[in-house]
Amino acid sequence: MGVHEIKPGDVLLAVEDISLSFGAVRAISDVSFDIRKGEVRAIIGPNGAGKTSMLNCINGFYHPQQGTITYKGQKRSAMKPYEAAAQGIARTFQNVALFKGMSTLDNIMTGRNLKMKSNLLTSMIWWGKAEKEELEHRRFVEDIIDFLEIEAIRKTPVGRLPYGLQKRVELGRALAAEPELLLLDEPMAGMNLEEKEDMCRFILDVNDEFGTTICLIEHDMGVVMDISDRVMVLDYGGKIGDGVPEEVRTNQNVIDAYLGGGH
Amino acid sequence: MFYREAGQFKSSYKEDQAVFPILQDRIGIAILLLVAFIGIPLFAGDYFVGAIMTPFLILALAAVGLNILTGYAGQISLGTGAFMAVGAFSAYKLATFSIALGGAEATLPLILTILLAGVVAALVGVMFGIPSLRIKGFYLAVATLAAQFFIEWLLVKVGWFTNYSPSGVITAPPLVVLGYEFHTPAEKYLFTLTFVVVMAMAAKNLVRSHIGRGWMAIRDMDIAAEIIGFRPLQTKLTAFAVSSFFCGVAGALWAFVHLGTVEPEAFGINRSFSILFMVIIGGMGSILGAFIGAAFITLLPIFLNNVPPMIGWNIGVDMVAHLEFMIFGVLIIFFLIVEPHGLARLWTIGKEKLRTWPFPY
Ligand SMILES: Nc1ncnc2c1ncn2[C@@H]1O[C@H](COP(=O)(O)OP(=O)(O)OP(=O)(O)O)[C@@H](O)[C@H]1O
Ligand SMILES: [Mg+2]
Repeated sequence: MGVHEIKPGDVLLAVEDISLSFGAVRAISDVSFDIRKGEVRAIIGPNGAGKTSMLNCINGFYHPQQGTITYKGQKRSAMKPYEAAAQGIARTFQNVALFKGMSTLDNIMTGRNLKMKSNLLTSMIWWGKAEKEELEHRRFVEDIIDFLEIEAIRKTPVGRLPYGLQKRVELGRALAAEPELLLLDEPMAGMNLEEKEDMCRFILDVNDEFGTTICLIEHDMGVVMDISDRVMVLDYGGKIGDGVPEEVRTNQNVIDAYLGGGH
Repeated sequence: MFYREAGQFKSSYKEDQAVFPILQDRIGIAILLLVAFIGIPLFAGDYFVGAIMTPFLILALAAVGLNILTGYAGQISLGTGAFMAVGAFSAYKLATFSIALGGAEATLPLILTILLAGVVAALVGVMFGIPSLRIKGFYLAVATLAAQFFIEWLLVKVGWFTNYSPSGVITAPPLVVLGYEFHTPAEKYLFTLTFVVVMAMAAKNLVRSHIGRGWMAIRDMDIAAEIIGFRPLQTKLTAFAVSSFFCGVAGALWAFVHLGTVEPEAFGINRSFSILFMVIIGGMGSILGAFIGAAFITLLPIFLNNVPPMIGWNIGVDMVAHLEFMIFGVLIIFFLIVEPHGLARLWTIGKEKLRTWPFPY
C-alpha cells in the first residue's frame, strides 16, 4: 500500500492521460483528473461521453491502452476487478446489478466477502468459528440496513423489489465493503423526487459520517450542483471542463455540449 | 396448533440465523430424524429398507452434490455419474492398496476410505471444472458430458482400475467399522443414513456461509460478483470440488453399500440425467429439494407399479415404463418453465400460506 498516510484533501486517485478504445470507437481520449480524499466528485456529460467507461477503468474492469492510474500514491498496473475491490474500491452500476435470487440481507452480506475468512471446513461445521464470524458481519450489515431504512425488506428476494429500492440495496452492498473510494454510476436514475432526496441524503451521510470518498455519475444537474465538491465534464471521450460546480455551470464549452447534445 | 412465527420472537441474530428458525420446523425435523433412525430400521421390512430407502438416500446425496454445482453455483453438469464412478473406483483402489500394504487387519478404516474417495473425485471434478472459467451454459454441459464419456471409457479400458478382473465387475469389501460388520439391510441403511445426514447438514451450512453466497453471486451475475471481490475461478472450482466430493462419496456408498459390486455401468449417462432430473424436479438451489427430487424419482416407478393394480386397473409393464417417461417429461418441462425452484419452492409457498392461515390478513 501507499507509503505515506493520505489525509483528507490529498489526492486519493490520479488518472493521467488515459485513453481507451473499442476497435474504432474511442470511448476516452487523453483524460486526466484526480479525486481527493473525502470529497464528492461528480462526472457528468451527455450520453455516450465515456463516463461509465471511466469508472470501469478505475475499478479494473477495463484496461486503458494508454496512460496511468495512481491510487493511494501507487501507480497501478493492469489489475483485476477483485484486486481493486481488495484495495478498497466499491461501486454500484448504471443498470442495477444485484444478485436476483438472493434476499436483501444476503446481497448486502456479499459485500463483506473480502473480510470473511472461514474456510470450507469450518464453514461446513459452522458451529464455533464460522458462526461467530457470520454473526459479527451480520451485525455490521444490520447497521447498514438501519441506515438505509430498509429493515422491512430484509428477507425479500431482491428480484421482487421496485427499482428504487433495488438501487438502495445495491448501495448497501457497496457500503458493506467499507470502501475508501465509492463509485456510483447514476445512483438516482429512474427515481422519483422523494427517492432522489433520500438517496442524496444517504450519499451525503456516508461522505460525512464515514469520510468515504465518493465519485458519482449523474444526469440530474440540480443534484450534481447540490451535492458535489468538484465536477468533471466529459464529451465524446474528452474532458471539456473541471472545477467547482459554479465554474462548470458557467463554462462555455459545457453549455455548448449540453445544448448541442440535446439536453 | 397453528403453524406460526408469531410469538416466537427472535431476540438475537443468532436465533434468526438458525437453520430452522421456526419451532414447528424444528419439531418436524426431529420427528423425521426419529422415524429415519429408529422407526424405519425397527419396523420396515428388508425390501423397503434395502431396495428403496438406501438407494434413495445415496441418490439424494448425489443430488445434493449436483445441486451445489448447478442450483447454487449455476454451473450445469452432465458428469454426475462419472464423478460417482470416480468415487466408487477410488474407494475400491484405496481398499485394495491398503490390504496389499498391511494385510486385511491393517486396512484403512472404511470411513476414511470413503471420504478419501470423495477427495479423489473432488480433484477430478476440479480438473474438469477448469473450462468453466471460459465457457458457460450449453457449452459447459457439453464439456461435462465429454468428462462423463471419457471417464466411463477409461474405467472400462484400463484394467488397472478393476485390478484386471476379466468381467470388469468386482466385489466390494465387507463393511467393517471398528471390527463391527454392517451386514443386514437395516444396518447398511443406518450406515448410509448417518453419512447422508451429516453431509447434508454440512452442505446446508456451506450454502448459508460466505462461500455459498459466493456461489450464488457468481450464478446470478458473475461480473458484479467479480467486481465486489469474488474470484471467479476460485469460486467456481470450489463449487466443482465440493460438488464432486459429494458425488464421489455417493458413488462409493452406491458401490460398497448398495450394490456390493463396483462396475462402471452403474454410473453411466442415464445416472447423470436421472440425478439432474432430481435437482430440477426437487428444486434448484435447495438442499431439501435434492431429497424431495430423489424421493420423487425413486418412488414414482414403485407407485406406478403397485397402485394401478391395487385399484383394479391392470396396465402392462411396458405401459408403466411409458407412463414414467411421460410423467417425468411433463414435470421437467413444467418445472423448467414455470417453477425453476421445483417442489421445494411449492413446499415453501405452502408453508407461507399456512403461516397466515386461517386469517390471511
Ligand atoms: N464494452 C464496450 N464495447 C464496445 N463499446 C463500448 C463498450 N463500453 C462502452 N463502449 C462505447 O464507449 C462509449 C462510451 O460509453 P459509456 O458507457 O462510457 O458512456 P456513458 O457516458 O456512460 O453514457 P451514458 O450516459 O449513456 O451511460 C460509447 O460509444 C459506447 O458505445
Ligand atoms: Mg453510463
